Amino acid sequence: MVEENEFFAWLDGELPPDDAARVEAAVAADGELSRRAREHRAMTSQLRGAFGMVEAQPVPERLERAIATGFESTIVDIGEARSARERRAQPLWVQAAALAATLAVGLFTGNLLSGGMAGDGSSSPIEARGGKLVASADLGRALSARLASAPANDGPRIGLTFREKNGAICRTFEDRSASGFACREGGGWRIRSLFQGAESQATDYRMASGPEPQLMEAVEAVIDGEPLDAAQEKAALDNGWK
Amino acid sequence: MKSSGAFERDLTQLLPRLRRFAHGLSRSPADADDLTQATIERALRARDQWEPGTRLDSWLYRIMRNLWIDTVRARTRKERYEAPEEEARLIGEDPRGAIDAGLELQRAMAAMERLPDEQREVVALILVEGFGYREASEMLGLPIGTVSSRLVRGRIALLAMLSGVSDG
Repeated sequence: MVEENEFFAWLDGELPPDDAARVEAAVAADGELSRRAREHRAMTSQLRGAFGMVEAQPVPERLERAIATGFESTIVDIGEARSARERRAQPLWVQAAALAATLAVGLFTGNLLSGGMAGDGSSSPIEARGGKLVASADLGRALSARLASAPANDGPRIGLTFREKNGAICRTFEDRSASGFACREGGGWRIRSLFQGAESQATDYRMASGPEPQLMEAVEAVIDGEPLDAAQEKAALDNGWK
Repeated sequence: MKSSGAFERDLTQLLPRLRRFAHGLSRSPADADDLTQATIERALRARDQWEPGTRLDSWLYRIMRNLWIDTVRARTRKERYEAPEEEARLIGEDPRGAIDAGLELQRAMAAMERLPDEQREVVALILVEGFGYREASEMLGLPIGTVSSRLVRGRIALLAMLSGVSDG
């Protein structure tokens, strides 16, 4: 007599050798058990074969990209993910989070400020004014005028707009040389967080902690509630980012 | 360079297996890829919690399984008073005449979908993914006896569904 759990444990190779030999002999001597063993082996291999097709398929590009860019989004709920897919709307986090490797801010800021020019010949996105790092004219214009929902073809791209806990409006940005976020202060945009973009990354800089989206962590540390949606973003623009 | 590049490379190499596990748990291929993506995102955020030298695959499977459970619970709350239309459609599809390499997969997913969640995860881990009873019990945080008895119930139900035998 072979107990059911033991029969299947034997089938799965989970029994110690002595028990396995005993069950094997019992199964061989019993036509009904032999038939069950065959059926279950066939079913398991059918199941493996069916799901093996998934393993053999090419991996969808969006998944590899998610790893390559350290992609981060608020989508952790599959129901939400499905709604997002059906809306065909690009989540704001996705737009904001296209960062690759980042660098320690100090080194990088020094480079941008002293060089004055980013690697591609465009002007630096930041400048020092009155002891504070603020957005340069180009970046300031983008922060003041651009909507995440209507990205421009060139120049800084705007990702998220949100309020920080003290009530000020902040926006994330990304251009070829850098990404970060800036908050509204005294009629301008004060740089609050800055990371070097992948394209201008110089080989003599040591990589920081890799492509983990540090910008999103920095945003999460100061954000009050949820990011503004497209309508709220437009309203905030119309209201002068107050 | 820190080891971060190696982490991403290993994660990329495990993607085919992670997708396979996701298909075993999910009710549609699109849901499976959303689950895989959510797992990648969670893993990248939580990478500091993975201890180098331990198995990355088990860690990732555990993340995926926990995300899936969260989804199942959320869906159960939401659909308590709704008919599960999508499920009915998936199971109701008549496979006859459909000559398709994905047919076997479709049938297998439909059959898995009909298993209770606690049997489905055990079947997926052990029969499909090839983990041992002990590994599965550690991953799921369950006694090994619970794992093996869920596996027995799940595979018996699957055999009935996949061999077309109606015994219930």
